[in-house]
Amino acid sequence: MNYKNKNLEELGKKINNLNNQNKPDIKKKESGAGFGFKISTEIIAALVVGVGIGLIVDNYFNTKPIGLIIFFIFGALAGFLNVYRVMRRIEKQR
Amino acid sequence: MAAKDSPLKQFEIDPISNIELGGYNISFTNSSFAMLITVLVITLFLTLTVNTRSIIPSRMQLISELMYNFIAQLLSDTVGDNGKRYFPFVFSLFMFVLIGNMVGMIPYQFTFTSHIIVTFALAAVVFIGVTILGFINHGIKFFTFFYIPGVPFYMHPLLIPIEVISYLSRPISLSVRLFANMLAGHTLLKVFAGFVVSMPFFTGVFPLAFIVALTGLEILIAFLQAYVFAILTCLYINDAYHLH
Repeated sequence: MNYKNKNLEELGKKINNLNNQNKPDIKKKESGAGFGFKISTEIIAALVVGVGIGLIVDNYFNTKPIGLIIFFIFGALAGFLNVYRVMRRIEKQR
Repeated sequence: MAAKDSPLKQFEIDPISNIELGGYNISFTNSSFAMLITVLVITLFLTLTVNTRSIIPSRMQLISELMYNFIAQLLSDTVGDNGKRYFPFVFSLFMFVLIGNMVGMIPYQFTFTSHIIVTFALAAVVFIGVTILGFINHGIKFFTFFYIPGVPFYMHPLLIPIEVISYLSRPISLSVRLFANMLAGHTLLKVFAGFVVSMPFFTGVFPLAFIVALTGLEILIAFLQAYVFAILTCLYINDAYHLH
């Protein structure tokens, strides 16, 4: 029984050591393509929403190009805001 | 559009049995079949492996506990103490996406996460749920989420629409990321698989070797995307609790 416990303790120590060794380099595995993809979807999503709202506004108020232009610009700005937030989150993780 | 041996053939929906209810087409398709398999795999795997409840876990039990701990840790890191009650939701979402991606990696098996309507439905559930949660927690004050303190007052007409659009773009970026990753990966696999047969002599070996490497990468991406989906859900839940 004693012998068994000792073995288990050693195993626990080993596992803890390995865990501590492996932890730091887990998050650096993300590829450049994945990173670019993340950023580009943020911009595209915001643009899609902006253009969508612009088209709906135009349809509703009969202001053909103006709503689209304004909300396209808002959408682009929101895209940059999204990218800024993602970058800040990544900076925090490091 | 997709011919018989097109790389896009794999994404075709084909109804296994045609069902129509009240004018809506609710056929049981190969996509639904893949989802059914996914749910069955998750349920069987989790219940069977944790069934023994041994103190020194078997390998399979260890995997289940690892997944449980992974999400529990994620929630407590991002949301804090409030996060515990959302564990069932985030865990089932994570497992559904993860096992769905993994089931899709089996040859000849349909990948339901490669359809934007599926991922968008998942993201919409998260988005609507989080918005309702925000209103429950803060009432009408939830709208101050779009109001950034410490900005000159004349900037607000510009900033509030930007904030609103940024908020509305969340479900789209969440769903597009998962869907596009799976679509691109599976198309790439099939395109290179086409090269294996069409290249002369023994040179087909090179694309074959590439496919082997790419399959490993795809499994990594399958896991990574499920992780991203779960962590973003956690962050959005956190936003519903702590405005700014």
